[in-house]
Amino acid sequence: MASGGETVVEMRGITKCFGGMFANDDIDFDLKRGEIHALLGENGAGKTTLMNILSGMYHPDSGEIFIKGKKVRIGSPRESLELGIGMVYQHLTLVPTLSVLENIFLGTNRKFLLPKKEAEKRVRAISKKYGIDVDPHVEIWQLSAGEQERVEILKLFYRGSDVLILDEPTSVLSPIEIDDFFAVLKSMADAGKSVIFITHKIEEALFISDRVTILKKGVKGGEIDLSGIDIENEGARLKEKIVGMMFKDASFSEAAKEESRKISDRVVLALDGIVAKSDRDVEALKKITFDIHEGEIFGIAGVDGNGQKELAEVIAGQRKVESGTITLNETEITNRSIRFINEMGVFYVTEDRIEEGSVANFSLAENAIFRCYRNEPFAKSGILLNMDRIKNYCDGLIESYSIKAQSSDTIVKTLSGGNIQKLILAREFSYCPAVLICNKPTHGLDVMTMQYIRNELKAQSEKGVSVLMISSDLDEIKEVSDRIGVIFKGEIIQILPNRGTSKKQIGRLMLGITD
Amino acid sequence: MNFKRIAGTAVGPVFAILSALIAGGILLLIIGFNPLKTYSQLFSLGVGTYLGLTESFKRMAPLLIMSAGLIIVFKAGIWNIGGNGQFLIGAIFVGGVAPLLVDRVPLFLFFIVLCILGFVGGAAWVTIPAVLKAKYQINEIIVTMMMDFVAINFSSYLVRYPLNAQPGRFPQTILIPLEKRLPNIVFTEIHIGLIVGIVVVILAHYFIKRTTLGYEFRFAGENKKAAFYAGVNIKKVIVLAMLLSGGFAGLTGAIDVLAIKGAFQAEWNPGYAFSAIPLVFLAQLNGIAVIPLAYFFSFLSIGGEFMSRAAEVPVFFVQVIEALMLIFFGVSEYLKKRSKLFCGF
Repeated sequence: MASGGETVVEMRGITKCFGGMFANDDIDFDLKRGEIHALLGENGAGKTTLMNILSGMYHPDSGEIFIKGKKVRIGSPRESLELGIGMVYQHLTLVPTLSVLENIFLGTNRKFLLPKKEAEKRVRAISKKYGIDVDPHVEIWQLSAGEQERVEILKLFYRGSDVLILDEPTSVLSPIEIDDFFAVLKSMADAGKSVIFITHKIEEALFISDRVTILKKGVKGGEIDLSGIDIENEGARLKEKIVGMMFKDASFSEAAKEESRKISDRVVLALDGIVAKSDRDVEALKKITFDIHEGEIFGIAGVDGNGQKELAEVIAGQRKVESGTITLNETEITNRSIRFINEMGVFYVTEDRIEEGSVANFSLAENAIFRCYRNEPFAKSGILLNMDRIKNYCDGLIESYSIKAQSSDTIVKTLSGGNIQKLILAREFSYCPAVLICNKPTHGLDVMTMQYIRNELKAQSEKGVSVLMISSDLDEIKEVSDRIGVIFKGEIIQILPNRGTSKKQIGRLMLGITD
Repeated sequence: MNFKRIAGTAVGPVFAILSALIAGGILLLIIGFNPLKTYSQLFSLGVGTYLGLTESFKRMAPLLIMSAGLIIVFKAGIWNIGGNGQFLIGAIFVGGVAPLLVDRVPLFLFFIVLCILGFVGGAAWVTIPAVLKAKYQINEIIVTMMMDFVAINFSSYLVRYPLNAQPGRFPQTILIPLEKRLPNIVFTEIHIGLIVGIVVVILAHYFIKRTTLGYEFRFAGENKKAAFYAGVNIKKVIVLAMLLSGGFAGLTGAIDVLAIKGAFQAEWNPGYAFSAIPLVFLAQLNGIAVIPLAYFFSFLSIGGEFMSRAAEVPVFFVQVIEALMLIFFGVSEYLKKRSKLFCGF
């Protein structure tokens, strides 16, 4: 690839401070034409801050920015766009009820009448040039996450951006979609566009990019030029080197759970022919049947949106079962109330930790008692809350799960995502549940927290808790599960033992390929 | 720490009150009154006279009781803005039933029964919007507001026809004799409704803060999705919160009839809910903060009434002040948010 090209972006000595904390401390960064440059670091390392400065969201406290050799001051996202820099955020910013074309118009069209014909022609041309395959007339809600990602990129090309900043673009994609997506990136780079690829996944950075810049707690940890390096052979060595640049404590291994444990024969949770509808009133679960044994971790692998959320909600009692039965320890719990099922020992860690799993304006203490506020000793005779007991209990959770918060009175919205997730897990774990349902428990968290949570899940299963572990991250599924069920279009298409099953095998099943 | 927090929350309302008085002063100047003279008159009449003080304290009772219900329902994230209608229904229940009981039961029991009746009346009136909201997710703002008009006409019909004491004269229910009205607090001429109000609003405050049901109310009010996830029965919360607020509005009506009016009169609609709504928002739904603010609102309206007689300043001038207070409170909230934006992340 053209890594000897002209330098299109140069950032020198960028420093940005938030409330006394250095988010970026004297960082240098540059990008060449036709280059894919990965920005690698843990959550909170300052990657997004640095790119928000480039895209005009923040102003640096000090430092200089040059675009194509010219010194600039980027005052707003609009100015950044005019300089040809476009950013695709981690949370996509498309309007679900509008079509692809209409979304592309948003913020770009200044005419009274929409120039539909003309725009469509241009969109199709761009699509063809970069291999971005989307129908301009389809509405956004009908598209998969991967397709939506592509629409975002299309939008930026339409606006004439030639520097693309992608913030963790693969976090919402399935393995196969990631491959497609990388192919698009390559063809973009070959056509002379420059890409900044923000990620915390080392493999991805090594696989796709020409150069890697590593950030560690707001400072530049290092920079590695990958052009001319044979990743196949030198990958392991490079990874070690990068890990050393990313973390202080570089000793972490990612051994998959290959040793098979002795699992009890006792069935704790059994689903039999479960059918349920999604929020959009279409059948989301079609005759789901499986069971989980005592102390077993049952992984559900699947591409997002294949019924995972509905499956979790059905068991937790949050969604109505149309037909079929759910049995917990020989008691039928089909369509019982959430409270009843919870009291029977089913605890559920939702994937939506901000909107569903916690209340932003409540204190940690108030968030800690979701499941137990009616019970002694937290409530006297079920009526009066005992605030001292509640705070003590919450302090205990903060301590044993090392949640970073000032006190149990702290308001939850001031916490980071990882700490909110720890609080939720602490809450759901702390009652010795019979069944624990976890939907994407480590999604979007940094490596350390991720590992911590996975270890905690394993520890729970050792104690005899049956875990239903839903995840779209294959590494995670492989690492923790005893058995793996693959969900595709609302059906469990196969159940496999973890041992002796390859990632590739599961990956194919996730796409519905059975042979 | 605690003091700092109280000071922090008091900044908004204090800023709002002072700004409203200043802006009101400018308005006075424009319409040709001397603001300093007008304000000094307002204060000397409202606070400086025995009558002004007594009347202000009396006026606090309905505002406090109404506020107790509003705090509960607003904390639960539900907009019951039909407090005036619920007030009228509570009042007409009491006005209609009181004459039947007045000579038949001991006075103490008489008050208790009628207060409960007022509460039930208000709660009954809000049952329709509550069930519509809980069962069919029908917007409670519209239904409670519309039912105000129904309540006005329904109570007006009752007082003109079946419950009219003396057809042909000004329509009102049979008067409760003076000696059978709510007693005064000792050494004062303020009826015990004030004490009821203070107790009720403090109870509402601790109910919301310290009970499991109050926690469920706040839970549903802050985040319905999370409350559902945690197993809170949202429908129960909606219905109970609305019944409680309607009940307190009805109780307000009962107290006003039992203590002051002695009967339900046609055309009577003091509109306490419309004072109590801005009041509880200025107090940031804090029951303790409601008490001093309720005094201030009462002082304003009583002082304003007195002043309008003496100084020819129109009586609705105090309503202008109230409105300005709300506007400036909004401004202070906005400033707070902005400063937060720039201080922290």
